[in-house]
Amino acid sequence: MTPPPAEGTIVAKPAATPAPDSEVQAETAPAAVRVETPLRRFIVDFCDSPLALFGLAVFAVIAFIAIFAPWISPQNPYDLAQLDIMDGRLEPGSQSMDGKTFYLGTDDQGRDMMSGIFYGLRISLLVGAGSALIALLVGTTLGLTAAFFGGRVDSVIMRIVDLQLSFPTILVALMILAILGKGIANVVLALVIVQWAYYARTVRGSALVERRREYIEAAQCLALPNRRILFRHLLPNCLPPLIVVGTMQVAHSISLEATLSFLGVGVPITEPSLGLLIANGFEYMLSGKYWISFYPGIALLVTIVSINLVGDHLRDVLNPRLQK
Amino acid sequence: MARSLRLRDFTGASALALGAALGASLGALMPAAPAMAQTLNFAVGAPVTSIDPHYHNLSPNNALAGHIFESLADFDPRHRLGPGLAESWRVVDENTWEFKLRRGVKFHNGQDFTAEDVAFTIARVPTVPNSPSSFAIYTRAAREVQVVDPYTVRIRTNGPYPLMPVDIASIYMLDSQTHRDPKTEDFNSGRLAVGTGPYRFVSYRPGDRVELARNDAHWGERQPWERVNYRMITNDSARTAALLAGDVDVIDQVPTSDIARLRSDQRTALAEITSLRIIYLHLDRSRPAGQPTPMITDNNGQPIPNPLHDGRVRRALSMAIDRKAIVERVMEGAAIPSGQFLPPGTYSYAPGLQPPAYDPDGAKRLLAEAGLPNGFRISLHGPNDRYMNDARIIQAIGQMWTRIGVRTEVQPLPWTTFTARAGRQEFAAFLVGWGSGTGEASSPLRSLVATFDRNTGFGAANRGRFSNPEMDGLLRQALGTVDDERREQILIRATEVAMRDVGIIPIHNQINYWAHRRAVQVTARADELSQAMSVRPAR
Repeated sequence: MTPPPAEGTIVAKPAATPAPDSEVQAETAPAAVRVETPLRRFIVDFCDSPLALFGLAVFAVIAFIAIFAPWISPQNPYDLAQLDIMDGRLEPGSQSMDGKTFYLGTDDQGRDMMSGIFYGLRISLLVGAGSALIALLVGTTLGLTAAFFGGRVDSVIMRIVDLQLSFPTILVALMILAILGKGIANVVLALVIVQWAYYARTVRGSALVERRREYIEAAQCLALPNRRILFRHLLPNCLPPLIVVGTMQVAHSISLEATLSFLGVGVPITEPSLGLLIANGFEYMLSGKYWISFYPGIALLVTIVSINLVGDHLRDVLNPRLQK
Repeated sequence: MARSLRLRDFTGASALALGAALGASLGALMPAAPAMAQTLNFAVGAPVTSIDPHYHNLSPNNALAGHIFESLADFDPRHRLGPGLAESWRVVDENTWEFKLRRGVKFHNGQDFTAEDVAFTIARVPTVPNSPSSFAIYTRAAREVQVVDPYTVRIRTNGPYPLMPVDIASIYMLDSQTHRDPKTEDFNSGRLAVGTGPYRFVSYRPGDRVELARNDAHWGERQPWERVNYRMITNDSARTAALLAGDVDVIDQVPTSDIARLRSDQRTALAEITSLRIIYLHLDRSRPAGQPTPMITDNNGQPIPNPLHDGRVRRALSMAIDRKAIVERVMEGAAIPSGQFLPPGTYSYAPGLQPPAYDPDGAKRLLAEAGLPNGFRISLHGPNDRYMNDARIIQAIGQMWTRIGVRTEVQPLPWTTFTARAGRQEFAAFLVGWGSGTGEASSPLRSLVATFDRNTGFGAANRGRFSNPEMDGLLRQALGTVDDERREQILIRATEVAMRDVGIIPIHNQINYWAHRRAVQVTARADELSQAMSVRPAR
């Protein structure tokens, strides 16, 4: 274990330090072999794919930008007093009237595109993660209930799910926003309403399989309360497909939010998200002012691709049939 | 040496061959070319909602109807009134106008146009069922229509009414025989789309196109186009792309972002003229002074008495707007800054009223004088699909107001939602446009700033409920003055009173653009009407 002491010079020191090192290794290494928890195996499996790791890293950077946008943006793009119409449609790298540099140019209102994208990512992730999480909670609860109780409860819930899935998501979301009006909270609500059905259907599928297993029967024989069986026994065993669907749906809701904002029914016009930034620059594409649409588009693309890379690999890792 | 010679030989030969081929193909094309040139493809940005010329008073409808139908008087491209189906008119006494009709005018189906038809048409206009925006405002002053002889008609009014020829110019004439039972559907199907105009109706596909053919029996100058495809392409980029691809010869409502490109392109050119349309802000004064108005609060979100009743606050809001910046940056030069209703060069333009100078510090001082040194909060509304760059303009104004301490929330809405809510006085400040159909200040004065009165129709579009008795008096005086020069002076004074009291906040007059292929020439019209009559083949 200990490397042979280097020739001459400092012999005593290197010889002394490796000892505690090898002690630590001796303690942890056998433990890893002995208790291979599912989580640990999962992490090891996940790290197999450099592509997925890369996706995760990119996503971490995006999440960092989104969370710390107010501190790292050169400008608050939502504060009208900080915008100057005279700085409108400047090319990437131009100087503003008071000497600031717009690295990614400005939009038609003189909004710094870089700040706009940072804040836009914030909205995208907030809406994406927020709506996916709430939809996950609602969908999972209803899906589990349907699978566990079966019969009429199952029929009612699953017919609602069918109904929901038979409408195009964008159409339903447009209708909801037309009724409720603009605003981030309303966008989240609309996305939850169009998405919970995916979770419900996924959970019900795997829960139906699981509930015929012996351990559920055993739990029922022990007269455990339904709630405990549902959430302590059934749910953990249905998690893998749910995680996969959840990740994919985050990407889906980010692109849905962008679509809604692009169509002008999402966020308020003075607080643009990525979709609205793209819409604002869309008209200028023919006249060569590409940057107003291009950079927010790239940001949106990178975000969605990175989440999908992670999600794809998660599906492979969590699917036992694909395990070698 | 030999090599270069051979090369030269080769190029010479190929040029010859090419020339021969070109000549041959040109020769083959020759018979087809004139026929091609005689069809005009015109793409407009706003859909035509009906062929019935009295159903919906809307620029796109009026533009199309002008191909098929004609009225007694006609506006030229610069919106000056000239003869139409009437060759001349005069005031007989202070309550009577007399129109002398053009002889030998025939409808597309061969019927003669006579004084009976004028009386019939004026009677029909107010009876059109379900009209979303009626033409009856133009016939209201006509108390009685008297047929003197087949080519003379007299219109009686209650009191002097100088605007009669201008009003009557908006009424397209029908035939009392053909249109005995005029139903709007029958116009749309084409059965009753019969007028005296330079083009005959061929077909109408709502939302897509109207096809027209030349009326060879027309009394006027012969039109150069045998057929006209009048297409509706509402998407801005698609319209520009259709022009660049050569699918259409002319487009209207050119997106400002494409103007520079279409001007520099070898294949296209632009025709432009300052529009009679003013883009402006209404400020709400519909509730009594001292009461709060929706959409205005103090800086903590608490309701305050409506500050817009104070003339100093209104002036401050106007001074805070950098009109030059909006014209340069938002409109990309497609407008001129404005301080009144009409553009320079028009009848009753007030030369003394320049666009208010941009003065944010002066605006802050005025706010402080009015007891609002820290400003207030306001929501600024406007449409996002009606006027050129409408949503962008209110965002820019939002920036400028926020800078003088009036924190502005900008809320663009779709036109249909917007007009309904603006008409119910739900907004504090909002952007709209007004095209002065009569070409003189009486139109905006009467509709936008005269005291609202449901019975007389004054202030019909005065959604902010501005009211100034001095202005009302001057306007009434102008409307009773038949002498054009005296009327102009009174109208100028009325405009000055309205603007000094900030009845509205004018922003700019739009410039109307048409973009066209170089193979045709277009005469731009101040009244925005897109018509095949404005297009000629280029010489």
